[in-house]
Formats: sequence, structure tokens, C-alpha cells
Amino acid sequence: MSADALVALGLSIRVAFFATLLNALLGIPLAYILARRAFRGRALVDLLVTLPLVLPPTVTGYYLIVLLGRRGWLGAPVYAWTGWSVAFTWYAAVIAATVMALPLLVRTARAAIESVDRELEKAAYTLGRSEWRTALEVTLPLAKNGIIAGLVLAFARALGEFGATLMLAGNIPGKTATVPLAIYTAVQTGEMGEAVVLVLTLTILSCIVLMVAGRLGARAA
Amino acid sequence: MSHRFSVEITKQLPEFTLDVAWSAGDGVAVLFGPSGAGKTLTLQCLAGLIRPDAGRIVVDDRVLFDSAAGVDLPPQQRRVGYVFQGYALFPHLTVGQNVAFGLRDRPRAERLSRAAEVMERLGLGGLTHRRTGELSGGQRQRVALGRALAIDPALLLLDEPLSALDAPLRRSLRDELRTILSGWGTAAVLVTHDFTEAYQIADRIVIYESGRVIQSAPRAELLWQPASEAVARIMGLRNVLHGTVVKAMPDRIQISWRGLMLEAVNSPTRSYMPPPESPIAFFIRPEYVRLIRKDRGAPDAAHHMNLMRGRIVGESDFGMVWSLRLRLDAPGAPAQGDFDLEVEVPRLVYEILEIERDRHWEFSIHRGSIHVLPT
Repeated sequence: MSADALVALGLSIRVAFFATLLNALLGIPLAYILARRAFRGRALVDLLVTLPLVLPPTVTGYYLIVLLGRRGWLGAPVYAWTGWSVAFTWYAAVIAATVMALPLLVRTARAAIESVDRELEKAAYTLGRSEWRTALEVTLPLAKNGIIAGLVLAFARALGEFGATLMLAGNIPGKTATVPLAIYTAVQTGEMGEAVVLVLTLTILSCIVLMVAGRLGARAA
Repeated sequence: MSHRFSVEITKQLPEFTLDVAWSAGDGVAVLFGPSGAGKTLTLQCLAGLIRPDAGRIVVDDRVLFDSAAGVDLPPQQRRVGYVFQGYALFPHLTVGQNVAFGLRDRPRAERLSRAAEVMERLGLGGLTHRRTGELSGGQRQRVALGRALAIDPALLLLDEPLSALDAPLRRSLRDELRTILSGWGTAAVLVTHDFTEAYQIADRIVIYESGRVIQSAPRAELLWQPASEAVARIMGLRNVLHGTVVKAMPDRIQISWRGLMLEAVNSPTRSYMPPPESPIAFFIRPEYVRLIRKDRGAPDAAHHMNLMRGRIVGESDFGMVWSLRLRLDAPGAPAQGDFDLEVEVPRLVYEILEIERDRHWEFSIHRGSIHVLPT
């Protein structure tokens, strides 16, 4: 494997790891709230989280540029104050992967949380536990396998992210060119040997991840 | 310590309205009635898991809910133990952890000793480290009880605690449950739709129908003096009949029914004085109808009041007891479809009198066995 390929692989794993971490921090509370709380706008939140699953990744990436780009709704004020933009940094790759992977985690974790018997939560309330403590001590531990399966899926999805990453982070070798982007570049420039190595690496990695997810899913069910 | 609690709540749901008021003291109050009558909903309101629209809940002078005063303690602060229908044991915790779950605020040493004490008293001593999935039905029930009792609740709620068990186990656990509850001295409210179970466990029975309470009384009073025909029907009493008042007196009441003149005892404590000609409901327990033996001479009016004659038109064999369906020798439509009265005789009597062959009999009912149902 070439040095460039190794750099791409290292970057991919780093991006996928942080995207999965962000997924856990955002997605698990979101899944809990969607599963257990009735509030106005729940359908809208659900829709927004799920949309990247069905939209072409380039469209999701475009929205991310509109939001976070140098002239974006959030990006412009940040750039005005600090002279820094997240676009075309490896953070952007993390953000793109996070958004693309979030629906997988939220949907899997939500289903797992919804399958926890509500009477167990009610029992915890009558035994003095707050809703917060009950979620930590009863609901989430019982939904654990589903949540872990969701995180594994999110990791796999983040690892393979291409379209949205290209839009927001670009394809800068050594900086934002993750394995899928490096494969694209290799094919475009005719370096088929490099492409094959990266393709096989990503395939094997994804297979392992899916097998782990399948195990956990079977145990959750 | 003597307990006293009262419930007075209304709750409007899309297709159902709960509007109940009752109170109870020491011992076990059983909420009895058909499924969907609002019994479990009442428990959830007591525990604070559902918020009533209006009303007041007071347990031992502690106001748990009062819509007028704006009081609504969350379930965490009510100190109300809840044994759920499916027990709701935490499957990821051991028996010991389940029992100690409500003791989190106490120091570790106290928590452990309290949990150990509760498990010892409930005969769960050796099961501390077991997962709840490994337990038998009866053990699961005791873990659920122990978990709720460990917090020393002001009130213990039990939602059909025996319905998850097999019939033989259920019968033996009724006595056990009653012993545990009285031994613990905690005021308890138990929900069931099985009248035998209700009667066996209860000190007081509160009868629910379609979101309302139609009678609340000590169990013995309920058994002999159901407050209305609706109560009698929900209790599953047979031979609930309709006649016309001939004359009501403080000590007895004369009823015209199927061309007969029946005489019933009026309640000495709760005399019912309807005017003549008004409709009246009453019930006769099938096992209190007396079959008159043909080999003992003619019946005399002094010993055989409310004498009637009829034919057996149907029967069911319940093993040790035969249930006979009797149609009176009287013109007009029978009172209960194709028969007038259900009569129960022990199997021995059925065989000695050769009822299988001989279908025409005289019956008599003591006036004390005809129970008038106020409307």
C-alpha cells in the first residue's frame, strides 16, 4: 500500500471515529427524545434527521455548504469574526459524515428504545428515579445492543461517505481526501493499482463492521 | 399505625370517563370490576403516573394530589409502591439490585441491610444474585412485592398481581399474598376482575363499572347486601330476578313473581320501603334453593315457605355439584330465557334422589335467602 493510500486510510478512520462519537453524543439523546417524548415539531425533527438517508448526498452536501460555507448562514458570521471557515478542513469531513450517518443511528436506537417496556420506566419513577436517571439506569442499558448496532452502522456509513464530504470538505489529498475520495481520484488519474488496494481495504473493513452490527442486532432482538 | 386514605378523581379520556370517589383504611382495598372499568387507571392516578383532570388524593393526611390547591406530587415523591401486572422487574439487574432499586438515597450499608431484610422476610434470601429471568412466577411476584415494600411505602398498589400465574399457583398465592400484606401492615389497593380473589384478599371491596364506583363496602357486607342489581351482576350472582312489590314492611317484603307470592326478609339495618306495585329486583343463590324430598311426606307451609313446583329443563355437571335449570309450572314466559331458576344440588343428593330420571320437583326458598336489590 502506498504512503498516500495509508494517509487516506488513516484519515478515513479518524473521520469515521469522530463522526461516530458525535453521533453518539447527538443521536442517542435525539433517539430517546423521539422515542419517549411527545412534543410539537417531533415529526419535523424526525423528517430532518431522516432526510439525508433518501436525498442524494450531494444535495445534503449542498445544504451543508449553505449552512456552514464561508458565505453560509452560520459560516459567514464565524468567518467574519475569526477569519476561519470549517469548509475544506477535515472537520468538515467529520461534519458531513456525522450528518449522513445520523439517521442510521437514530432510527436503530429509537427502535431499540421504543421496544423497552414502559412499565419498567414507570416502576423506576415510583421507586424515586427521575426521568433522567431512569433513562441512564433502565432505558438505555436495556436498549444497549440496539444502540451499539446503530453506532456500528453509523461508523460504517461514515467510513464510506463520499458525496457530502466532497461538497463541504473538498478532495484535498492528506487533508480531506478520505478513502472513497482517494479511490475516485485514483480512477480518474488512471492509477488502477492504487484504486484496487483502497477498494479492497474499504470492502473488507465494511464487511467486518457489518458482521459486528449483525451480531449485536441479533442479540438485541 | 393506623392508615387512612381517600381518592376523589375525574379523568376524561377520548372514549372513557373516570369519575370515582372512595376511601379506605387499614388492610387491603380491592378494586373489583370488569376489564376497562377504570381500575388500573385509578392506580396510575394514585401513583402519579397519570394526572387526573380534577380531584384530590390524600394518604395518611399527606396530600398527593389536589387540583384546587394546585398540588400534584410526582411519582418519585409519593412514596407509593407499585406492583405491576407483569411485575416490571428490571431484567438487566439481579434480584438483590431490583429489591434495592428504590433505596438509592440511603447509605450503602443501610441499603444492603434493608434489601437483605426484605428478601429474608419474603423468602428470597438465597436468590440475591440471580437474574430475574431465572425465577419462577411466584418468585417474580415476591421480588416485585419486595421491591415495592423496600421503600416502606405509605400505600402499596397491586395491579392484578396474580393474573400472570397458573391457576393452581394463583389459588395458593392468594393466601400467601394476604398473609404478606397483613403482616407488613401497609395499606394496600389491589386490582382484580376475579370475584373469588377479590373476596379472599380484601378487607374492603370497591366495585367499579364503566368508570364509576357502584359500591364500596366491607367484603362481608358486599357478599350479602349488594347495593344494586348492577353490583349483583358484576359479582356474577345468578338468579337475579325482577318482580313487583306487593307490600314492603320494615322486617319483610312481599313480592309478586311469575304468579307466585314470594316473601323476602327486608334488611334490618337498611330497610328498603318501595311502594306497592313498583318493580323490584332480587336474587336467590342457587345453592340456597331447597329441593323437597318426595319420601318425607307432604310439605307444610310452616317449614317450607316460598313453595314452588317445576320441571328440570336443563342441567350441568360441575363435578361435586349439579346445576339444575328449573322451569316453573306457571303460565307466561320463563324469567331467564327457557328457565326460571338455577338450582344447585350436591352430587350426592342428585344421585340419591335419582334426579337424572325424575324431573318434576317441588322447591322451597327460605325468606332469608331471597335478597332484595335496591334500585
